[in-house]
Amino acid sequence: MRPRPALSAAAALLALTVLAGCGTADPSASLPTGTKEGGDLVYATDREPTCLDPHNSGDMPQTYIARQYLDSLVSMKADGTVVPWLAQSWDVSKDGKTYDFHLKKGVEFTDGEPLDADAVVANFEQIMDPDTQSSTDLLYLSPYFEKATAVSEHTVRVTLKRPYSPLLTVLSQAFFGIESPRAMARGLEANCAAPVGTGPFKVAEWKRNQEVVLERNDDYDSAPADAKHQGPAYLEKVTWRFLKDNTARFGALQSGKAQAIFNLPPESVPAATADSRIDTDDFVHSGVPFALDFNTDSPQLSDVRVRRAIVHAADAPGIVESAYAGVFPYEGNALSSGTPDYDESYHEPFPYDPDKAAKLLDEAGWTGRDEDGYRTKDGKTLTLRLPYNSDPGETPPADLTIFQNFQAMEKRVGIKVELQPKDAASMTAIKTDPTAYDLQGRYWNSPTPGVMYIKFSKETLDIDNGQNVARDYDDELDKTLVEAAGTTDPEKQQQLYSTAQGILTSQAWHLPLYPVQTRLATRSDQVKDIWIEPSEGEPVLHDAYLIRDGA
Amino acid sequence: MTAETTSSAPATVGPVGPVSPEEPAQPAGPGPAAPPAALLARLRASLPGRIALRVLSALVLLWAVATIVFFLQHLVPGDPALAILGGASANPPPETVAAVRAQYGFDQPLLVQYADFLGGLVRGDLGSSYTMKEPVARIIAEQIVPTLQLTGASLAIAWAIAIGSTLLTAARPGLAARIGSGLEVVLAALPHFWLGVVLLVVFAVTLQWLPVVDDGPAGLVLPALTLGVPLGGFLAQVTRDEFDAASRQPFVLSALSRGTRPGDVRWRHVLRHAALPGIALSGWGLGSLISGAVVVEVIFSRQGIGQVLVTAVTSQDLPLVIGVTFVVALVYVIANILTDLAAVAVDPRLRTSIGGAS
Repeated sequence: MRPRPALSAAAALLALTVLAGCGTADPSASLPTGTKEGGDLVYATDREPTCLDPHNSGDMPQTYIARQYLDSLVSMKADGTVVPWLAQSWDVSKDGKTYDFHLKKGVEFTDGEPLDADAVVANFEQIMDPDTQSSTDLLYLSPYFEKATAVSEHTVRVTLKRPYSPLLTVLSQAFFGIESPRAMARGLEANCAAPVGTGPFKVAEWKRNQEVVLERNDDYDSAPADAKHQGPAYLEKVTWRFLKDNTARFGALQSGKAQAIFNLPPESVPAATADSRIDTDDFVHSGVPFALDFNTDSPQLSDVRVRRAIVHAADAPGIVESAYAGVFPYEGNALSSGTPDYDESYHEPFPYDPDKAAKLLDEAGWTGRDEDGYRTKDGKTLTLRLPYNSDPGETPPADLTIFQNFQAMEKRVGIKVELQPKDAASMTAIKTDPTAYDLQGRYWNSPTPGVMYIKFSKETLDIDNGQNVARDYDDELDKTLVEAAGTTDPEKQQQLYSTAQGILTSQAWHLPLYPVQTRLATRSDQVKDIWIEPSEGEPVLHDAYLIRDGA
Repeated sequence: MTAETTSSAPATVGPVGPVSPEEPAQPAGPGPAAPPAALLARLRASLPGRIALRVLSALVLLWAVATIVFFLQHLVPGDPALAILGGASANPPPETVAAVRAQYGFDQPLLVQYADFLGGLVRGDLGSSYTMKEPVARIIAEQIVPTLQLTGASLAIAWAIAIGSTLLTAARPGLAARIGSGLEVVLAALPHFWLGVVLLVVFAVTLQWLPVVDDGPAGLVLPALTLGVPLGGFLAQVTRDEFDAASRQPFVLSALSRGTRPGDVRWRHVLRHAALPGIALSGWGLGSLISGAVVVEVIFSRQGIGQVLVTAVTSQDLPLVIGVTFVVALVYVIANILTDLAAVAVDPRLRTSIGGAS
């Protein structure tokens, strides 16, 4: 054993690597001046998708990255209207059941396939095919979609079983990005690893647990009508880096290793605000806010008086403020403020009122008390089980604080809340077992107020996939939302969706807490013009460019 | 001297032990009649035989690992088909769930699934990951290299700490030994998740001496320190005890009286004795480094099988869990063989004692 030379070699290596690590190069150092053209961008995010084809499964990380290499038929604006994208124009039949999309001509997928009506039809077929293992797309489509057909080379006809006015906003999500039929035909494995679209970038490489490398599509000429510029992207390469750890992700931004990070950790917000080189962009998601859903199959919660009492006793604005320190606002409506046709009058429908809560509980018959002071009825304690995922990635510390605050507030009126930390597999099991939970924390990002139908209708309850977490429906609500889906008149839609928000509020099937937000932090001294599109809060890198002299 | 001789003695006398008087050892000619005990004894007596036994026991170990993991994963609550389709946050319709069940054979009885699974293993087919939709072998091949780099570098750091601390402070009079020993206890007690975040914040975020994330060698420094420092403290403690004992042996005195310089005695003679238990523990240490890699890879966002294992377990990705467990078990087995060889390299007596038995 002669460790001397080996040791000194190791020491030398250590010294070398330390030196190599010093200093971070300016990403724009060697770029041509006077233009926005060129350069590499590192974009760091927290969650890695399991599949890059957003038709499969349908989780948020998929849509964020898919926006960079897939184009959709239409693009949504913040007011809920849509503008042309791959579809230059469209006609909707009088009965609202037929949509004709007229496609842009001369567009090609990055594998050389032409974008034509047949290609779009193939996309709908792939989404509907069980082998694609789609989840989100089917929730939006299957109750309505009948078939897609090619009417001419550049006209696709989508035929619906019944009118569905949210269809256009739904199709604007990257979940419905259009992919090359030849690429989709390779099967799930190959298509998950590198889907092919018409977008501004193409997937060059996916190093699992590390990054996806995106290269510019030099022939890109199909940007949406609301893009900041037409033609190819400015950036030559985007490294889509996965940095799960909050400290590492924010540190990468501070040190300039990344020019933009997604999901700025709440604890880093003060540091980011104090740093003049860091800009933050907050986006309130359209859809259903983060809420505690009440399982009406539980005998305690089948009584609307008990549900209302819980909401009155919770002081939801207070518990959100205490957990998120003002970083996230409170939202008490069934829809987030970023949703089209959001009705502000339901912002705080059941203000904090412990006396009223007590009265409602008395009326519901929960008049006894056990030795701990909790309310009882027929000798049974009023207990509510709240299982949650114990992984801090799924249940951030602030959400756990919310649960604990909620538990403390409900105790004051004599309701016992049991917090049950669970592993991911148990949470999956609970989802389809309504006897295993009374309350569950959930949210639903969606570009349309029609999401109320996905979450609270008889139709989704009957599918029995755990989607209708409250496990209840209201005939009047179903009728209202079906009617809203059946009209394209904006005024009528607004009135109907407002009625629906009222019905949902009076049912008290859930306790809404805060709107889901996307928080993007960028190095304002290095990069400009990353924007967030409104349908799913997807970051758009097509217009982004690196700052240098003369640009 | 004596302590080492007895500790290596079982290797020499071991093979003779199980042979009973009624069945005298039959060293000449294999013959089918050779009783298992004698066969075992003969196998143990030669180096190739010992290796063959090692491989055989490794195979049994791998089978046991696969079986335990297979049935444990099936005891986990929840439908793997739902886990494949995105877990608790996804809402696949029943037709999709049914399609997945049929595709992956979840509708078959458990024993049929087990037989299929074992059949695949025998063919060397680890299957395809449920969630990543890629062959398990390819995923592991891609992810094992960064993990081995990390654990290798960590082990080197651990040994550098152990040797450095021992040579500088062990068996020295006064305060030096106590400070050294105390420091080692502190290092050994540092938890990875804490040390990693502290190193990250101090050296990467605040001082910016090292990158927060980097795929090159510079990015290896902090993760390797996170894993290597606590193990180094532990190895140093073990080595120090042995060093203290060895430095009181007569051969030290005789070397010194021959005029060898004290530094050379510590370095060439005493350390050689003192390193043996540490080397034996390094095999275990490598395994513990791989489990520690799970934490470190997440903190430093490194590629590696640790991260893969975490996601695979939470998403009930059975083929991937088994694949990674397999590889970890394999690393343990190989590491133990390597530490045996290293012990032989450091202690020449082991060479002759094995040779003598065969």
